[in-house]
Amino acid sequence: MSEQFQRGTLGRMRLHVLPTKRFKTFALSLFAGVPLTEEKVTSVALAPFVLRRGTQSFPETISFRERLDDLYGAGFGFDLYKRGDHQIVQFRLDMINDRFVSSSDSLLGEALSFLGEVLTSPALEDGKFRSKYVEAEKTTISKRIEAIINDKIRYAAERCVEEMCKDEPFRLLALGRKDQLAELNADKLYQAYRQWLQEASFDLYVSGDTTLEEVQALVEKSFRLPTGEPSRYAPPSLRPARSEVQTIVERMDVGQGKLNMGLRVGETYGSDKYASLLVYNGLLGGFPHSKLFMNVREKASLAYYASSRLDGHKGILTLQSGIETANYEKAVKIMREQLDAMKAGQFEADDLRRTQAMIGGQLRELQDSAFERIAFDFSNVMSGAERTGDSFIAEIQAVTPEMVTAVAQGVELDTIYFLRDRKEES
Amino acid sequence: MATTSYPKLQETLWHEKLDNGLEVFILPKPGFTKTYATFTSRYGSVDNHFTRPDGTTIKVPDGIAHFLEHKMFEEPEGDIFSQFASQGASANAYTSFDRTVYLFTATHEVDANLDTLLHFVQNPYFTDENVEKEKGIIVQEIDMYRDNPDWRVYFGLIEAMYSRHPVHIDIAGTADSVRSITKEMLYDCYNTFYHPSNMTLFVVGGVDPEATLERVKRDQAAKTFAPGGEIKRLFEAEPPQVKDKRKELSLPVSLPKCLFGFKEESYEGEDPVRRELTTKLALEAVLGSSSPLYQQLYDDNLISDGFGHEYNTGPGYSFSMIGGETRDPDELAARVSQALYDAAKNGISSEVFERTRRKKIGAFLRMMNSPEAIASEFTRYRHKGGDLFKVVELYESLTPDEINERLKEHADPDRLAISIVRSGTA
Repeated sequence: MSEQFQRGTLGRMRLHVLPTKRFKTFALSLFAGVPLTEEKVTSVALAPFVLRRGTQSFPETISFRERLDDLYGAGFGFDLYKRGDHQIVQFRLDMINDRFVSSSDSLLGEALSFLGEVLTSPALEDGKFRSKYVEAEKTTISKRIEAIINDKIRYAAERCVEEMCKDEPFRLLALGRKDQLAELNADKLYQAYRQWLQEASFDLYVSGDTTLEEVQALVEKSFRLPTGEPSRYAPPSLRPARSEVQTIVERMDVGQGKLNMGLRVGETYGSDKYASLLVYNGLLGGFPHSKLFMNVREKASLAYYASSRLDGHKGILTLQSGIETANYEKAVKIMREQLDAMKAGQFEADDLRRTQAMIGGQLRELQDSAFERIAFDFSNVMSGAERTGDSFIAEIQAVTPEMVTAVAQGVELDTIYFLRDRKEES
Repeated sequence: MATTSYPKLQETLWHEKLDNGLEVFILPKPGFTKTYATFTSRYGSVDNHFTRPDGTTIKVPDGIAHFLEHKMFEEPEGDIFSQFASQGASANAYTSFDRTVYLFTATHEVDANLDTLLHFVQNPYFTDENVEKEKGIIVQEIDMYRDNPDWRVYFGLIEAMYSRHPVHIDIAGTADSVRSITKEMLYDCYNTFYHPSNMTLFVVGGVDPEATLERVKRDQAAKTFAPGGEIKRLFEAEPPQVKDKRKELSLPVSLPKCLFGFKEESYEGEDPVRRELTTKLALEAVLGSSSPLYQQLYDDNLISDGFGHEYNTGPGYSFSMIGGETRDPDELAARVSQALYDAAKNGISSEVFERTRRKKIGAFLRMMNSPEAIASEFTRYRHKGGDLFKVVELYESLTPDEINERLKEHADPDRLAISIVRSGTA
C-alpha cells in the first residue's frame, strides 16, 4: 500500500490526488457537502439534476452526452446521500487512460475541464438556469421520490429511519421534499445554487496516472469556485434512543412482510471506539456467520435475508429481514434475543475472529478499487479520523470481547417498523 | 500450461484443461490486493430435462438448480460460510438461466480459500433434514421476488415470449415445485452437471499463476470422478412467434413499469459473441442516452433515467429487452419500436456508429478494472465459444453495414411482446 494521496488546496476546494498506474482509468470524484436542513434540502438535491443537463460549452443535453461518448464513453454520474448531519452531492467521472486508445488529447485534462464546467459553468438563459431543464428535472426528482415505494426493501428501510428520526432533519430524504418542488423555479434554484457554491465543503479526488501538480494546474483552469478557504465538516450530534420503543405497522399490497428495527448507538466514525462498534455490527448481522443470519434464517428458516447495517457517520444501526406476516412475533423475539445476547457478551471467540478476518479482508480489498479508496479517505475527511487501511486493520484486530460488550451497552432499540399485507385489516 | 497475451489490454491469461476435463483460467493482476475466484457449472434453470451420460433421461422440478446452489454450502463439518469467514474470505453464489456460479473474494490465505472452494463444490452433502429446512428459506426468497416489480416485469416479458422453452420458468421455481424437491433429485442433478468436464475455474487477482495452477492440478488429481460424458439438454421445440403479445399484472408501483422486446430464433451459427455485440451496439445507437430519441422521450416525460435495453441469449433462446418506468407503456413501446423500424429501414449513420462504438469500447475498458466483472463475463463468453479479451478487436472490426443488417433482422414487428406492471385499480 505504498501509494498515498497527495494533498493540496485550491481556494475553497481540497484536492486529493492518488498517483497510481494500477488501473486502466482515471477516477474522479467531487464531493460537495452542506448541513442537511429542512429549508434547503430540496434545492440542494435538485441542483445536480439540472447541472447534468448542460454546461456553457455543451448547453444542449444531447451535445453534453455526445461529449461524454467522445471521451471514450466516460462514465459520468452523481449521487445524493445523507452522511452524518450533512447532505452530500457526489459527482463521479470514470474515464479510460489515454494509453489504451490511440488519442491525441489529454483525456484527464478534458475530463477535469468537463467536470469543472458541470459544477461551476452551467448552461444559463437570462442569467439563470434554463427553465426547461429545471421543470423537467423537478418531474424527474419527484418520480424518483415516488419510486421508492417500488422496492419494498428500500421503502421499509427509509420509513424506519423516517419514523425513528422524526424530530430531526435526518428523517428527510437526500432527494428532498416533494412538497417543496413546486415553489422552485429557474430563478430561485439558481440563487440557491450560487449560495450552495459559497457554503459547501468541496473535496476533489483524482486517481490515476497523474500527479498533484498536474491536477492542480488543470483544476485552476477549469473550476470557477468562489474564493476562500476550505471549510470543515461539523461532527454529528448523537441522540439517545426514545425511552420507550415505538412500533409502527404499515399495510400495503405486499406478499412478504418487511421487518426493520432502528437503534441508536453511542459512538460514531470519528470515535476511537468505532472499530469495536464495527466488530459488534459484524457479529450481530454483517455476515453469513453472524447471529441474525444464523438464528433468523439458518435455525428458524423464517427468512431469506436477515442482517444489520451500521451507519457510523450518523450513529444509527438498522436491522432488516423479510418474513411471512404470521411470523412477526417470532422474528421480533429472535432479533431482540440477539441484541440481548450481544449486550451480555454472549458470542463465540471463533465468531469474533471470523468477523475480524472478514472486516480486515474488506478493508484490504478496497485498495483495489479507486472509488472505494476515495470513499474511505473521504470518510476520514468528514469525521476528522486519521485512519489508513493498515492502521484501521490493526485497530480491528485489537478489539477484544470486552470492548465489543462495552459498546453493546450503548446500543439501544428505538423503533420497530413492520410493512405487512392487508389481511385482517381492522 | 499455456499463456495468451493481449498486448493491447496489457493482460496475460494462463489456461489449461486438466485431465478430468476441468478448464482452469488464471489472470494475474500484479499489484492487486485481492483475489477473486469463480467456479462455474454449465448448469442453470433451463436445464430441467436432460439425458445423462449413461443414457437415461430425467425431468426435474422447476428451481432445482437454484436449490442445489443453496444446499452446496452445507457440509458435514458445518456451514461453509463460516469456514470462508475464518479465512477472511467472502463467499457467495448465484444461479442464472444457464450457469451456476460459486465465488469468493479474499485478500489473505488465497490458497486455503481456493481449496475450500474446490472442496465444497465437489463435495455434496444432502440429507432429508437439511433439504427440508432449506424450503422455508427459499419460499421466502421467492416471496421477496414476487413483491419486486422490476423482477416481475422482467419475467413477465419472458413469459409473454416463450411458451415451451424453460427460460420462461422462474429461476427459483415456485413454492410448490420447491416443496417437491428431494435429496435424491439433488444428487441426480449434481452427479450430472457438477462433473469437472462441465465446469470452469477462473481466478483473477494478485496471484502467482504457475503456483496457483499447480495447486489446482494437485487438488484435482487427488480426487476421483466417475467418467464424464455428454449431457444432452432436451428442449421442446419453441415456436418462432411470441406466446402472448402482451402481459399485464398489478403490483403497487409509483408509475407503470414496462419492458418490451423482440424474440429471435435461437442462433446456432458461428461467432455468437459477434452477433451479441452487434445487436447491443445497434440498440445503443438508436436508444442510448445520447440519441435524439432518448432525449425526445425524456422531454415528453415518457422515460426516466432507468430507461435501458439489453440483449439475452443462451441455449435455445435469444431476445432483446427495452424499457423502464413510464406514464404510458403503450405509447412508449409504439414510439421506440417505430424508431427501431425506421432505423432498420434508413440505416444508422457512420457518425453515430463511430460514437457508439467508442462509447462501447470505453465501457468495456472501464469494466476491465473489475475482477468480478472480468470473471463473470469471461466465463459467459467462454461458454459461447468467445474470448472476452478480444472484444476491443471485435468492436474495431465491425462496420455500419453489419450493424444495420443486424438491426433489420432483429427488429421484426411480428416478434414484439410487451410486459407491463401497474398498480391495481382496487
